[in-house]
Amino acid sequence: MYTRKNFIRDAGLVIPGAIALTMLGSKFAFADDGDFDGPLDVLNYALTLEYLEAEFYRQGNAAGLVSGQAAEYLATIQTDEETHVMTLQDTIASLGGAAVPAPMVDFGEAFASEANYLETAFTFENLGVQAYLGAAPSLFQEKELLTAAASIFGVEARHAAILGVLQNKPAEGGVYQGALETALSRADVLEAASPFIVSAETL
Amino acid sequence: MHETNDPIGTDPGWAARVRRSRQMFGGKPVLRFQTEATRRTFIAGAGLVGVGATFVAFNRNDPVAFADTTGDIDILNYALTLEYLEAEFYTQGIAGNVITDERELELVSPIRDHEQAHVDGITQLITDLGGTPVESPTFMFPDGTFTDRDMFLETASMFEELGVQAYHGQVALISDAEILGTAAAIAGVESRHAAVVAHLMGGEPFPAPFEANLPMEDVLAAAGQFIEG
Repeated sequence: MYTRKNFIRDAGLVIPGAIALTMLGSKFAFADDGDFDGPLDVLNYALTLEYLEAEFYRQGNAAGLVSGQAAEYLATIQTDEETHVMTLQDTIASLGGAAVPAPMVDFGEAFASEANYLETAFTFENLGVQAYLGAAPSLFQEKELLTAAASIFGVEARHAAILGVLQNKPAEGGVYQGALETALSRADVLEAASPFIVSAETL
Repeated sequence: MHETNDPIGTDPGWAARVRRSRQMFGGKPVLRFQTEATRRTFIAGAGLVGVGATFVAFNRNDPVAFADTTGDIDILNYALTLEYLEAEFYTQGIAGNVITDERELELVSPIRDHEQAHVDGITQLITDLGGTPVESPTFMFPDGTFTDRDMFLETASMFEELGVQAYHGQVALISDAEILGTAAAIAGVESRHAAVVAHLMGGEPFPAPFEANLPMEDVLAAAGQFIEG
């Protein structure tokens, strides 16, 4: 999605209608039909990402890298992700499915500094946004699940924006990623998350 | 958070419950799981309400009515009306120099551009689908909206939260997957706006772990206060 982002940043101001139409009418890297094997598979995929995020903030917040308002925001983000984990587990269970276990993780140098922590968090949140949007069509027939997943997706977008603010990133291309969120396929999400996952039953 | 009109505002009591429930969790490793009772308590304390088997909503919001009575074009025209409102609001505010801080202006200016892009995009999408885009209503804003920074940001926050709740209220009602994808892609950006504006005004960028939703009639009732006639 570099093309669109760069275009928006370079154009600076109002996006012409023709471009907007292109953005709206197509170009969604939606999950292929073959990406997911039913709703439970989508939920376990989301759960795996939420495990990753929850554990990331648990370790990062425990490392004492941030203070003040940033620390408050990150504590809230942690509990948001923890709530997402529990909700997804409950949802999977209520559907008669088996929730995947948490992956073994290794966040490498993410907690070596405040800057590393915030930048990795920023990356995770934007990845989460793109993953949920990519998976949304696979839940399209399941209206309750779709609504619930969307309600998580929006909060991930809030997290992403504030992490951009905390790092003083440029507004467009940092805090915001254009006038529309973009979607990522399962394969692309896996590739982006793989450096942090030592083992995972599913992704 | 200042008091705002129902149904947009945040219930202060509810926010306090969320905070308390967060303290409950302080430093506990989520991946070495708590007892079922603890989980339930946390979810209850956070104001979560399980609806049916799986749907989760916050207690200030009714479960989405899963009645497919509205066509996608009607939903898009509804979204278009809200985007008109937002685009006009930010256009006037930025033109009137209500935001003077450089970084604040940098963060708010793209919001105007996004809302305008949403207006343009949705208009063309409706046309593309063979529908007729609604005309922009005439909007009116209370005195001071574009001269008082705090008032501007508070109003912005209200509009953004309303927009988020509006989009989320339609998720289950959109019949075309492509249109859903578009609406979701917009909704995510509205969430970003809501968080940033809340941050700028000293509010709560993350009011809850889940976005809330509102049915169309409630949203229009709230937005209607700013529509002439």
